[in-house]
Amino acid sequence: MVDLCPDDTPELKAWRQEVRDFLEKALPEPWTFWYDYDEDPASWERYLDFWRQVGKKRWTALTWPTEYYGLGRPAIEKWILEEEFVNHDVPTYPVIGMHVAGYLLRHGTHEQRCKHLKGIADATVLWGEGYSEPGAGSDLARLTTKAHRDGDEWVINGQKTLGTAAHFCQWMSVLARTDPDGPRHAGISCFLVPLDAPGIEMLPLDNMADGRQNMTYFDDVRVPADSLLGDENQAWTQIWFGMGGERLDNAGPSLGPHAMRILPLLNRVIRYCRQTTRGGRRLGDDPVVRQQLGELMVGVEALKLQAYELYGIAQSGKASRFGEASMHMHQAVYKEFWPHLAQVCMEIVGPMAQIQGGKWAQLNGDIEHYFRASFGNHAGGTSQLKRMVLATRGLGLPR
Amino acid sequence: MGIDLQLSEEQELIGSTANEFFGKNCPPELVREYETSAADYPAQLWSQMAELGWLGMPFPERHGGLGLATLDMVPLYIELGRHLVPCPVLDAVALAGGLICALGSEEQQKALLPGIARGDAPIVSALMEPDGGYGPGAIQLQAQRSGSEFTLHGTKVLVGCARSASRLLCAARTAAGENGEGISLFLVDPQAPGTSVERTPNIAGHPLYAVTFEKASVPEEALVGELGSAWPILYETMMKAAVLQSAMVVGAGERVLEMTTDYAREREQFGQAIGKYQAVQYLCTDIAMHLHRTRLLTLQAAWHIDSDRSFLREAALAKAAASRAAAAMTFAAHEVHAGVAFVIDYDLQLYTRRAKHWEYNLGDLRYHLDRACTESGL
Ligand SMILES: Cc1cc2nc3c(=O)[nH]c(=O)nc-3n(C[C@H](O)[C@H](O)[C@H](O)COP(=O)(O)OP(=O)(O)OC[C@H]3O[C@@H](n4cnc5c(N)ncnc54)[C@H](O)[C@@H]3O)c2cc1C
Repeated sequence: MVDLCPDDTPELKAWRQEVRDFLEKALPEPWTFWYDYDEDPASWERYLDFWRQVGKKRWTALTWPTEYYGLGRPAIEKWILEEEFVNHDVPTYPVIGMHVAGYLLRHGTHEQRCKHLKGIADATVLWGEGYSEPGAGSDLARLTTKAHRDGDEWVINGQKTLGTAAHFCQWMSVLARTDPDGPRHAGISCFLVPLDAPGIEMLPLDNMADGRQNMTYFDDVRVPADSLLGDENQAWTQIWFGMGGERLDNAGPSLGPHAMRILPLLNRVIRYCRQTTRGGRRLGDDPVVRQQLGELMVGVEALKLQAYELYGIAQSGKASRFGEASMHMHQAVYKEFWPHLAQVCMEIVGPMAQIQGGKWAQLNGDIEHYFRASFGNHAGGTSQLKRMVLATRGLGLPR
Repeated sequence: MGIDLQLSEEQELIGSTANEFFGKNCPPELVREYETSAADYPAQLWSQMAELGWLGMPFPERHGGLGLATLDMVPLYIELGRHLVPCPVLDAVALAGGLICALGSEEQQKALLPGIARGDAPIVSALMEPDGGYGPGAIQLQAQRSGSEFTLHGTKVLVGCARSASRLLCAARTAAGENGEGISLFLVDPQAPGTSVERTPNIAGHPLYAVTFEKASVPEEALVGELGSAWPILYETMMKAAVLQSAMVVGAGERVLEMTTDYAREREQFGQAIGKYQAVQYLCTDIAMHLHRTRLLTLQAAWHIDSDRSFLREAALAKAAASRAAAAMTFAAHEVHAGVAFVIDYDLQLYTRRAKHWEYNLGDLRYHLDRACTESGL
C-alpha cells in the first residue's frame, strides 16, 4: 500500500516536534558544512560539537539495541529524525562511523561492539575508510595490502589511498588480503585499526573542493587478533558488497548523505531565484530558469522517493524491483544527478557564481563549492560500475 | 576558394611555434603559481609574447601591429587555452585593443595600441556588473557629465588584472536608453581617487576584481568613441572576442582529450586497460565530439569575420558550443579519471576550473543560444 505519511500517530508527531526543538536550539542558524570538503579547524570543532550533542541524547544510536548504547527505538523514528535533519540542513555524521556501526551490529563480536560502539554513538571516535588502493579502485578485489597472523596479532602491510578525512579519524576500517592463494574475492578480510598504531604513516591528498583525502601507509602494523571484523576471508560479501547492497540494517534507516545534501541545496537555489532579479526580472519568473528548476525538482524528488522505497522495502521485507542491485540503482542515479544538479545550479546563478567568497559571492559561494565537490562523485564507486551491477545483477544481462 | 576546414601552413606554424614556446615557458607549475601570486600575471612571459609579436597581431602595422586576420590568431588562442597561459591576452588585445581599433580616435590609437603590442601594463575591459547579464541592459554604471568631466558611479565585476592594469576600458551609461543606446566607453585609471579595486576569489584562480566607482571623475578625453553610441561596436567586438575564447576552449579541450585518452590507455582495472570498456570509450568520444564541433564552428565564425561576411550568428553558435563543451569535456574527463583527478596535484582540475570561467566569459550558453536565435532573425 502506498503510504507517504511517516508520522501518522500523535506520538510520532510529538517525536518530530522534539527533534525540531532540539535542532532549533543546537543549530539556530542554517549552516552548510561538508566534512569531506572543509578543513577549517573552527568549523570542524563546531561540527563535532553539534554531533556530540546529538550523541549525548543517543540519537546517533536511536535504533541500536539498548545493550549496545542504543535506545532500541523503531526504525520509523530514525526516519523521522533523518527527515528533520535534512529539512534543517544538518551536516551529515562524520565519515563512515555509521557504516562501521552497521558492520559491528551485524558481524561484530560482543566484545567488539562493547569496545567500539560507544565512541561512535558519542561521536568522539571517528572512523575512516581504508579500502581503495592506487591499483585497486573499481577493481577493489585486486587489493594488495596484506595481513598475516603472527601469534596473537595480525601484521598489516600495504597502502590505502583516497581515505576521506582520515586525518581527523582515530580508527580505520581496513580491507586486506589474508589468503594470497585463494580466489580474488574470497581472500579478503576486514580489520579495525587504530590510526596511532606504530608503522602507520599518512600523507595528505588535498582535493579540488577544499577537503582532504589521505594516502595511508601500513608498515608492519601490528593489531591484536580480535581486530578482525567478521569472518576471515569473508569481507567481500560481509563488508564491501554489503555497503552497496543494503543500507537498512541495525544501525537504522538513512536517507543517505545524498538526500541530506541535495534537498537543502535545491531549496536554497529556489529561494535565491525568488529573491534575486536579473535584467529587472525575478529569476524565478524567467521561463528558462523555471524549466531548469522544474527539471531539478523532478530529479531531487525521485531520488528522495528511491530512498523512501528502500526504507519501505526493508521494513516490509518484500523483494525489491532490482533485487540486490537496488542500492546500486539508487547510487547510479545519484552519482549522475549530483554533477548535473551542480552544473545547472551554476548556470542558473550565472557568471557571478564563479566568485567564491566575500561580498560579491552569491549564496555565500556554496554553489561553486558544491560544483567542485561534484567531481568527487566517484566516492564509493563510479556510476559506470554501479550501472554495470544494475545491468548484470538487476536486469539479468550477461556479464 | 573551395571548401576547406584546415588551417593554412602559415597558420599551423603560428600554432606549432606557440605550442613549443608555451611548452617551455608556461608549464603547469607557472599556472599554479599565478593562482595565488601577488602579481596579476607573469611579466616576463608577457614581454616575451610581445617580442614575438603576439600582443599586436590584430593591430594595423602603423601602430606597431602585424595586421593579421582572425584565422591567423585562432591557432595562437588554441595554444593559450592548451597551456592555460595566465596572461590577459584575450582581454587586453582582442577586447580592449579591438575596441580601441574600432572606436578610438587616430590619436588614441597612436597613443595606446603600440603600448599594448609592446607588452606594457595592459589595458583591460570592464564590462560585467553584479546583475550578471551580458546585454546592454546590464550596463548600469552611471557616467554623468559635469562640465568637461564625467563622474562615474557604480560597480564592475569579473574585471581581469584590474590591479596591474594601466587603464580599464569601462562601459558606462551616459543616458538612459533602449537597445543599447546611451552606452559609452571610458578609459579610466584604476588607481584614481574614488575608485576601489578588490580581488574576488573565484573558481578559475584568475586575478578577477570588483571595481567600485564612487564619484570617480574622468576627463572628457577619456571617452572612446562617440558619446552614447558604443554598444553596437562593443557588441560586435565582444562577439569577435567570444570566437577567440572558443578557440581557447578548443585548445584546452585538446589537452583534456589527450590526458584522458592517455590515462584510459595506461590505467588498468579488472586486468585490462579501462579504455577497452565501452563506458569509458563513450566518455572519451564525448570529449572528442564536443571538441570537434567547437573547432569547426570556431573556424567558420573566424572565416566569416575575416571575409567581411555577417558573423554574429556564427559567433554565437561557436561560443554556445564552446560553453557547453567547456563543461561537458571536463566532466567526461573526470568521469574517466575518477579518484586520481579529484586530488589537486593532478593537472586536470586546472582545466576544469578555468573551463568554468571560460564557459561564462563573454556570454554563457544561455546568452549565446538566445543570440543565435536573434541573429537568425527570430
Ligand atoms: C571524493 C572521494 C572520496 C573517496 N573516499 C574514499 C575513502 O574514504 N576510502 C576509500 O577506500 N576510498 C575512497 N575513495 C575511492 C573510491 O572508492 C574510488 O575512487 C572509486 O572506487 C573508483 O576507483 P578509481 O578512482 O581507482 O577509478 P578506476 O577504477 O581507475 O576507474 C577509472 C574509470 O574506469 C571506469 N571503469 C573501471 N572498470 C570498469 C569496467 N569494468 N567497466 C566500465 N568502466 C570501468 C570507471 O567507471 C572510471 O570511469 C574516494 C574517492 C573519491 C573521489
